[in-house]
Amino acid sequence: MSFEWLNPYHLQVGSFILINILLGISIYVTLATGQLSLGNAGFMSIGAYASAILTTQHGFSIPSAIVIGSLLAGVSGILVGIPALRLRGVYLAIATLGFGEVLRVVFINWESLTGGAVGIAAIPQMGREILAAVEAAGFSPEDWGLRNNQFISLSIFLILAAVVVLAILFFLRLLSSRVGRAYTAIRMDETAAETSGIDTTYYKVLAFSQGALLSGLAGALFAHATSYISPADFTYHRAVEILVFAVFGGSEALFGPVFGATLLTLLPELLRAISDYRYIVYGILVVLTMVFRPQGLIDPALVAMLTREKPAGGS
Amino acid sequence: MALLSLVDIRKSFGGLSAVDDVSFSVNEGEIAGLIGPNGAGKTTLFNIVTSIYPPSGGRVLFRSEDIAGRKPHDVTRKGIGRTFQNIRLFPKMTARENVMVGRHAGSRAGIWRSVLRTGTQRAEEGRIREKTDELLAFMGLAGYEESPAGKMPYGHQRRLEIARALAAEPRLLLLDEPAAGMNESETREIHRLILAIRALGVTVLLIEHDMSLVMNVCDRLVVLNFGRKIAEGTPEEIRGNPQVIEAYLGKEEEDGGDA
Repeated sequence: MSFEWLNPYHLQVGSFILINILLGISIYVTLATGQLSLGNAGFMSIGAYASAILTTQHGFSIPSAIVIGSLLAGVSGILVGIPALRLRGVYLAIATLGFGEVLRVVFINWESLTGGAVGIAAIPQMGREILAAVEAAGFSPEDWGLRNNQFISLSIFLILAAVVVLAILFFLRLLSSRVGRAYTAIRMDETAAETSGIDTTYYKVLAFSQGALLSGLAGALFAHATSYISPADFTYHRAVEILVFAVFGGSEALFGPVFGATLLTLLPELLRAISDYRYIVYGILVVLTMVFRPQGLIDPALVAMLTREKPAGGS
Repeated sequence: MALLSLVDIRKSFGGLSAVDDVSFSVNEGEIAGLIGPNGAGKTTLFNIVTSIYPPSGGRVLFRSEDIAGRKPHDVTRKGIGRTFQNIRLFPKMTARENVMVGRHAGSRAGIWRSVLRTGTQRAEEGRIREKTDELLAFMGLAGYEESPAGKMPYGHQRRLEIARALAAEPRLLLLDEPAAGMNESETREIHRLILAIRALGVTVLLIEHDMSLVMNVCDRLVVLNFGRKIAEGTPEEIRGNPQVIEAYLGKEEEDGGDA
């Protein structure tokens, strides 16, 4: 059996799409309670740096470092989420954006720990570790018709795909339950939600830290998929990019940002010739979306239509 | 027995006194009315009872416990439900989802049960839904379960809001102008529903400007004017109270004759 068609480059683009989907969901979850956080690039950097420092400097295994990095980002989300309760709308957006920038400056200047502007290199990479484990067990990718670089890219892609599927299932279920109803109620009318018996403080902080944890997870996976991180990966541009996933794809249905992240990661690759103009394309897309479809490409009505048509098509 | 007692409640916004030393009680099982001209402080009192505002002074006793200063969701859990003068539904949710949100206080599923869809969680969702559909039917909204709340007719929205408040199984229900903007037959329906709600064992405190509704449905009335209580009594007593007539119609200044 041959997998000659498996192109590591395509798999790598696929992996970036999956990481961006996690980031898209992370902004969506917080937004589900009506809180617009632009701090997710910052939380992503916490997950990335914490896990990379643990694996490169303290000998932690990749899975445990990823879990710890994500949890650390989630806890930071609680710490930022509590004062953020006092802020609404654009004020919250600006404050969280500022939080991300402050973090980035810290990472640049804390050279002894973070390597400063140069960043952290030679982070153990998930795919290579798996390859090493497979070879230590006496197998070789050749046995399955794969070249080593194909095997490495494929294993990263599959790990990320599994994480994304789990994250989507987790939030689809959460959001269609009592907790999700509380989130939506808070987004639509906080006072009415509170008088309906919902502890709005608890659920707002919960949604905020869930978004932070998911961003941290994306960051930790990113660090151990690319094996190199630097403060330049977590700039203001990243924050805006995550926002655009939700604005363009749609911020009222979970599949909105999933779709937005997919399309907007794929687009610059398809249009490699103009990838220098990526942000111009982004800008134009956002403006066009705002004009013609302010709720984003995917909205609940569209989801309802598509899911309703399925049984009809099957009969 | 007093279910709710307000004791010397004061509330000022900046230097402006909205409620000034108001005390009254609502007894278990009665339908009480809170009336008074616009700006008398009626809705402010509702907001104090439900803890949306803290009072500047005084105590709010619910079942003999001082609840002033608690979080609004806590007050709901203790058994006080309310509706709003300017309807506050969750407009993009369906009627059913709105009432299901109202059931939040009476249910428990957290993150993990919701995500794992445990047996307990599914059974609870089933009960929430059953209770919700019962309440919608009770409020005359059967058949509207899937309608987006924001697109329902105005009178239906008012009733849906009451259904949402009832979902938390309150012992005391505060209704802020339930008949506002309704025609005569809709008002009769509200009248019937308020009696039916009392029959469920729920005590009702009502703000309302429709005098014929208030006089017919309430056991007792409290009258506010300029943030002060000016009268309290049965509808018959209130109807003949000169201070109340003056508050509503104004005093004749020139001839001082009896009208």
